[in-house]
Amino acid sequence: MMAGSNLENVLRSGTFAVTGELGPPKSGDMEVVRKKARILKGHVDAVNITDCQTAIVRMSSLTAGLIALSEGVEPVMQMTCRDRNRIGMQADILGAAALGIKNLLCLTGDHQKFGNHPQAKGVFDMDSIQLLQMVKGMRDDKKFQCGEEIKKAEPRLFLGCAANPFADPFEFRPVRLAKKVEAGADFVQTQIIYNVEKFKKFMEMVRDLGVHEKCFILAGVTPPKSLGMARYMKKFVPGLDVTDEVIQRLADAKDQKEEGIDICVDIINQVREIPGVAGVHVMAIEWEEAVPEIVKRAGLADRPEPKGIEPVFTSTSAIDEAVEKARQEARLELQGELEKAQAEAQASRELVVKEKEKVASEISGLKKQIEEAKSMVSRKEAEIQKLTEQLQKTKKALEESSTSAASQVSTPQPAAQVQTETVSVASDALTAREKQVLDSLSKGLAALKEVLGLNDAQFEAMKRFLEAEFMLQLGTVVREVAAAPAAPEAPAPEPVAPAQAAAPAEAAPAPEAEAAPERPKEVVNLVAQGNVALHSKDYKKAVELFKKALEISPDDEKAKAGLEEARQALAEEKEAADKAVEVKEVEGLPPCPEEIDPEEWKQKWVVRFTARGNVALMKGDFEAAKKEFQKALELDPDNEKAKDGLKRAENKEDIYIPDVKPGEAAAAAPAPEAEAPKAEEKPAQEEKPAEPAPEEAKKAEEPAPKKEEPPKEEPAKPKPKVEMAAPAGEGVGDLGVAPLPKDEPPLEERAKGIPEDVYKEPCTGVIQSVTLGDGDKAMIVGGETALPFHTFEGDIPNLPRTAFEVLDAPPEEWPECLLKHYSDVVNDSAAWARKCVNEFGAEAICLSLDSTDPNGANVSSADAAQVAKKVIEAVDVPIILWGCGNAEKDTETLREITSLVENRNVCLGPLTDANYRTLGATAMAFQYPVVASTPIDVNLAKQLNILLENLGVHLDHILMDPSIGAVGYGLEYTYSVMERIRLAALTQQDEKLSPPIICNLGREVWKAKETRLPTDAELGDQERRGVLMEAITASTLLLAGGEVAIMRHPKAINLTKVLVEGML
Amino acid sequence: MIIAERKPMKELLGMISGVKRLLIVGCRGCVAVCSAGGDKEVSILAAALKLGVKKAGGDIEIDTDTLVRQCDPEYIEPLNDRGSDYDAVLSMACGVGVNFIGDRCPDVNVLPALNTTFYGANLSSGEWKEMCAGCGACVLHLTGGLCPVARCAKSLSNGPCGGSQGGRCEINPDVDCIWQQIYDKLASMNRKDELREIMPIRDWTTAGHGGPRRRIREDLLP
Amino acid sequence: MSRIKGFCCNYTLSVDIEALKKEGLVPEDLEIERLPCTGRLEVPEILDAFTEGADAVFVVGCQVDKCHNLSGSYRASKRVKYAKKILEELDINPDCVEMFFAGRGETEPVVEAARTMASRVDQ
Repeated sequence: MMAGSNLENVLRSGTFAVTGELGPPKSGDMEVVRKKARILKGHVDAVNITDCQTAIVRMSSLTAGLIALSEGVEPVMQMTCRDRNRIGMQADILGAAALGIKNLLCLTGDHQKFGNHPQAKGVFDMDSIQLLQMVKGMRDDKKFQCGEEIKKAEPRLFLGCAANPFADPFEFRPVRLAKKVEAGADFVQTQIIYNVEKFKKFMEMVRDLGVHEKCFILAGVTPPKSLGMARYMKKFVPGLDVTDEVIQRLADAKDQKEEGIDICVDIINQVREIPGVAGVHVMAIEWEEAVPEIVKRAGLADRPEPKGIEPVFTSTSAIDEAVEKARQEARLELQGELEKAQAEAQASRELVVKEKEKVASEISGLKKQIEEAKSMVSRKEAEIQKLTEQLQKTKKALEESSTSAASQVSTPQPAAQVQTETVSVASDALTAREKQVLDSLSKGLAALKEVLGLNDAQFEAMKRFLEAEFMLQLGTVVREVAAAPAAPEAPAPEPVAPAQAAAPAEAAPAPEAEAAPERPKEVVNLVAQGNVALHSKDYKKAVELFKKALEISPDDEKAKAGLEEARQALAEEKEAADKAVEVKEVEGLPPCPEEIDPEEWKQKWVVRFTARGNVALMKGDFEAAKKEFQKALELDPDNEKAKDGLKRAENKEDIYIPDVKPGEAAAAAPAPEAEAPKAEEKPAQEEKPAEPAPEEAKKAEEPAPKKEEPPKEEPAKPKPKVEMAAPAGEGVGDLGVAPLPKDEPPLEERAKGIPEDVYKEPCTGVIQSVTLGDGDKAMIVGGETALPFHTFEGDIPNLPRTAFEVLDAPPEEWPECLLKHYSDVVNDSAAWARKCVNEFGAEAICLSLDSTDPNGANVSSADAAQVAKKVIEAVDVPIILWGCGNAEKDTETLREITSLVENRNVCLGPLTDANYRTLGATAMAFQYPVVASTPIDVNLAKQLNILLENLGVHLDHILMDPSIGAVGYGLEYTYSVMERIRLAALTQQDEKLSPPIICNLGREVWKAKETRLPTDAELGDQERRGVLMEAITASTLLLAGGEVAIMRHPKAINLTKVLVEGML
Repeated sequence: MIIAERKPMKELLGMISGVKRLLIVGCRGCVAVCSAGGDKEVSILAAALKLGVKKAGGDIEIDTDTLVRQCDPEYIEPLNDRGSDYDAVLSMACGVGVNFIGDRCPDVNVLPALNTTFYGANLSSGEWKEMCAGCGACVLHLTGGLCPVARCAKSLSNGPCGGSQGGRCEINPDVDCIWQQIYDKLASMNRKDELREIMPIRDWTTAGHGGPRRRIREDLLP
Repeated sequence: MSRIKGFCCNYTLSVDIEALKKEGLVPEDLEIERLPCTGRLEVPEILDAFTEGADAVFVVGCQVDKCHNLSGSYRASKRVKYAKKILEELDINPDCVEMFFAGRGETEPVVEAARTMASRVDQ
């Protein structure tokens, strides 16, 4: 036996059980419950009391269950997870068990949306299965859900659950029931059955799982009250399968109610035959009268004698009223007595506190009061006696007719007992000292007793009053003591005389209670404001506020403490500020940011000054260089590089002086080049092109070799110039572009008189240097320490580069104005590449393997590799191999190519998050640079770089492709992403974003609608339009930080080159 | 991402009644992606409020700006200076942004322009759906990647309730029964036996019921 | 007299608006703003027109499937729809803004649109 409920008894005895259902009212009217209970009584073994069904507020199932129980009907209390959390539910479970409820049906509950408070917050702390687990744990393991032990009287409950055989997924329904049984269900009540065939199938699956042997299954039935109700249930009640047959039967019936009852009986008879069905659950919603008839017609009228129905509260109204009356009277009296007793105790306490001389007269007053109390007590006792006798009489009379009335016990006595119990329990909790006080109090009282000649009863009464008073006071004392530690010693004195003993103990709280409110409100406010100011670091204000507070109340401890704290904080702040100023003044630096160690900051600036010095040195501005190096030495007098630089500046030993005077437009052309070849030359001369990124500090060492370079460079310089200009001369007509005139005086001149800090904002990071290609034509991209074209702020050793795009198959969608420049070579990629280099002066070639796209021509990787091989062999400039964008195919194709050309340093792309592993590994093996391609997002770009680095690909072998939008097609988005990447790398030293950026822009521009629309008056010449769009896109992206631009039109490329050279 | 939607115009007009100078600050984070508080919505709101105030016979000066994010201090702290010139700053970020301005910009009278609704995904242009409840104790590995906490009306842990019909939730036929989907998914992966396991009662402390949450990664702390 | 503002795609309305006014074909207080494409029109511009005193606003774009920029006119119609929603929230009759479509170079639909809006305002 789990709980010994009637339902449990019936089910365990093997009798076919019948349960009913009772919906509590939407009011506090308990007569409704009683009426329904009386209808069902004797016809069913137990009655489900619903818990706010369909989420409509009703009398709680616990309360209504108790009312039903008082009518002698056994309730099955329903409990849903919708309205309470585990705390509330366990509390109600304990309460239900305490008051005699023995069956609990655990449900998840209808969603609040269906009820009359759809705005309510659904709790659903757990689901029905977890609820079963929890209650089972409380019952069987005697543990709360948290694991804490239930020390005594664990709830003994027979646990039920619901099952809906008609909900989906059907195959899962028996499994879910099995879960419920495993979680703790002892019995199951199913959803209303009309479709018996489906229920049979369900039961078959249930039997297959063996669930019917572990719990009792009660089939749910409902008599349809009318055709309308049946139709409503079919249509609107989720999970209810009303068959057409039922509808038809009702439609054909003369008397629908009669037919409804017959339908219900038929279903009961059918489900009874199904193995594993242990009973029926008859739900006559708002039609309880039908239940006796149904049960009778089904041949189930003969219910077993109820066992285990033990109401805690009785049923007969006579007894109820008598009890209630008696209870109320007793309660009133007890309360009155308590109040009087308190008043008396108060009075007596005051008496005791007064001077010893008055004790005698006081005692006589006390005596009088005690007499009064005493007579009242005896009166009360007499009345209670009378009431009890009355009750006994009624009881006896009733016992003969009704057994259920026998257990009535409620009289004033239990209440009185409770009263005394609390006192004694409370005194258990007294501390030793309190006990001591109480003890001496008792002794004092004993003395009084002797003096006054009181009898025992009188003495007892008096003692009780004082004890009660003591208990009352105790609460306050404890609180007061805790709140005001200023005078905790007050109650301590050794009790000698009774009066004295009592006095301090009780007097102590009084002054304490007064002390607190004496702090003027104003002071409290001021102190509070002061503390707020203190907290928000406004120390001056805090000091003022505390001072004000002290003016009003000079001894306020809190204000004093606050003032002290604020003053100290103010002093500290001043000290810190002074310090900061010191650093600033002495060292002439921008204030050190909090997060950086001042020493580190200083070192950073030493490096910066040195770097600036070197830049100035390179420009031949020795004065400026000297100043910078001096600044660096001021900070770090031992810095070798700065010393070295200073020496050189003083000796006017520059690295390279451009012998062009600003303002001469014609002679200006070499000026940009003068710096450009420098960058190109460097990798060619130094054997290791993959040198570590040039750090600012390193630059100090570089000038020396460079000093010798100028003569060598001069002759080398014109070469690219000639190449570049060649197309212009050689009849390709309009492809050439004249260099930009340099009519601006250099920045240093323009900025004369303006402090450098105003227009310079040097960066602290550095862009990776990546080597593309090999041999003489190898190029380095990146390596700068300044924002694009900000030559005045840092070092830009390498020009941004352009690459010609060559396709591996004749282009299909190139407009004629673009295609015409390559029309002779489109069928041979190698010749195409050669033409770009020889005729157009291509610095690099990007071979786009578009034809390999599986969604396009799907040329095999092997064939594409052969084409690539030819292209690579045809030219000596750096080659970028650009796949079709299909991650898998690209992996295949690019790997194929690398196996053919391993001795040439080609660049592989695009690597995406889908193929970076395979291609990254290949590239690493051959030490090829790669293009890391991500969809236009800073974080994704960074993430791919990190992934590649984790794989072992160094950042100086990565070019970032942030995904490009052409002008008019998202250029600004690309621009902002690139700009953010570049700022992160340079100003926030985000190394993971420091690889150079490659922009494959030609393909984007030439697929834009505007490059394809033919020449017309409004839009102008088609070729010119396309060229400008490509050049504008390219120059914009280079301004945003691009280092390599892959382009298509030779003229656009020339325009871009000229712009770059003109700017640097 | 975090999904939000603009508050009704009347509520916003009520909020800014009496405001003479208003700064509307958008956010380019989640709310821009879900078309609730990006540059575009900022300009629309500014125009609409101007019209609304004018219609009520009032007068207002509205400036606009859109920050990269409103949930990082570097982007919002400058607002403390700038925003203090305005009678109010109407943030078009999610509640995070509004709170963060509230925290970091004591001189700013910050107001919310959006109702922050849920964590969701973009089903198609103009349609978003809740996918995660941020409960702090993910069980998606047990449920085929489909979340019963966020996507079941009752946050059930142990399978569909009796209201699951034809793959739909009982609360609304437009709502899928996520437990049906979980069942189907696991069945298709031959994993449906796993649903026989009882998922124990949840610990909701991680879901915010243990008080406001925070996350710390020691190695990243300054 | 009410003020009506129209936004027209450059490819519609081939007749000078002043001439139409002289003929009395369109209301006197009509103001037309030509756009390269109505896809360029944003919601704030529609709302601003009301703020600046218009009683009704209309947009005339190319036929949805004939837009020179493919989806410009379709976009405009969506923006008009959103502008209607905002007007409704502001207790302004949403019929005060409307989207119309016209063929290439057609003036008739623009005139028709202006008249429709004028009659709506008069009501």
